[in-house]
Amino acid sequence: MEWFANKWAIIDQLWPFLLQGLWTTFMVSIIAIFFGSTLGFTLGIFKTLQIRPLEKIINGYLHILRGSPYLVQLYIIYFVLPALDVEWLKFDSFTAAVVSLSLYTSSYVTEIVASAIFAVPTGQTEASRSVGMSKAQAYRYVILPQALKMTIPPMASVYVIVIKSTAVLSVIGIAELTRQGEVAIMRMPGDIMFIYSLIAVFYFVYCYPVLRFSKWAETRFGSVGVDLE
Amino acid sequence: MEWLQSIFNFRIVWQYWQVFAQGAFNTIWISTICLILSLIFGIFIALARRSSNPFIWRPVAGYIQAIRSTPLLIQIYLIYYGLPSILPFGNFLDEAQTGIIALTIHTTPYMGEIIRAGLESVERGQIEGGLSVGMSKKQTMTNVVLPQAVANVVPPLLGQTAILIKDTSLLSIIAVFELMGAGLRMYSETVIATETYVTTAVCYLVIYAMMLVISGVVQRKLGGSAWQKR
Repeated sequence: MEWFANKWAIIDQLWPFLLQGLWTTFMVSIIAIFFGSTLGFTLGIFKTLQIRPLEKIINGYLHILRGSPYLVQLYIIYFVLPALDVEWLKFDSFTAAVVSLSLYTSSYVTEIVASAIFAVPTGQTEASRSVGMSKAQAYRYVILPQALKMTIPPMASVYVIVIKSTAVLSVIGIAELTRQGEVAIMRMPGDIMFIYSLIAVFYFVYCYPVLRFSKWAETRFGSVGVDLE
Repeated sequence: MEWLQSIFNFRIVWQYWQVFAQGAFNTIWISTICLILSLIFGIFIALARRSSNPFIWRPVAGYIQAIRSTPLLIQIYLIYYGLPSILPFGNFLDEAQTGIIALTIHTTPYMGEIIRAGLESVERGQIEGGLSVGMSKKQTMTNVVLPQAVANVVPPLLGQTAILIKDTSLLSIIAVFELMGAGLRMYSETVIATETYVTTAVCYLVIYAMMLVISGVVQRKLGGSAWQKR
């Protein structure tokens, strides 16, 4: 019983502190998924236009972002870009976090959007072209509406990846959930395991519903067959 | 050459090539061990997940969900700080061994899900077909089901391996000396960010490029249905 009382006291004391961290995690992940999706959707559409040089450039971009760990990308954006002596690249830690996470997210989104567009049967394009639509109109009214529906399940998984990646931001001192936990551990070093477990529970409660939604959306909207994780 | 040196000083990088080589070597062997272990455990996870006994598949499903819904960093911390108190020999593990355990625990569910999807990807008709031409159950398994399942499973497994290699970078936070650790050491000694982190990134990209080449070779060798789609 005493153990429970003891732990409950810790939870009671840390609650507002960890919620603050969760709020930062939420904010960062929402901003990153917003900018990352915007960039990703644009690049994804461009990737399907079948313009050779453009496709090569986008593929190179994807390979660089998917071939290096997020931690390295974060360090490059946080430490290397400011060293270049360009005024607008001198990021503070929050901007660096958002920029790096958005770029990282965009690599996933580009791939998802491109494969969703490719998954729309070519007959759809041919049909819309043959009834006199321009290429842009075919994209706008026929292909994209069908493709975007298919992106919903994988986008939910990407959002979970983004949330999980925000934990890495603790290394550059963003006061998100993991960082708040580390600060709490400095205050009560005896309860290191309990506090980390508590944080794990916070993440689980946040991510699990999104994963469930993704699974449900797959039965509802179909899957495009991109393996993300 | 002067202007180039002001942007990127190769001479300093060259001084650290041994550190980076050691780091890259460690990254590769740590990921190889994790890959082998997580594949072995992943097969068991896949089979347990397909079991009809709720006492078997429910805990396994819980494990898979728990790993998929929490960040790797937290899992590494939990194992790094928790293992010494749980296991009697936990105190004798060094950082690399702890890191391997953490990464294996993290990667196993993903591998398990990939293997399960591979087993389920072979249609029932294939099994029935095999049986109806007079093959035994075992022959059907080895000659019909497994070749197709393997061909379907290899592409996502290679993708997961690439993720595993990238994930090892997080072990630098618990002071495992791998590629990222090499970068951090160089940074702490020289305090020049550009050369350090760009070199680290390039090393990872080289490993990634090697992975792409390997998967190209495997693609030609196996030629499963999953490849033809791409």
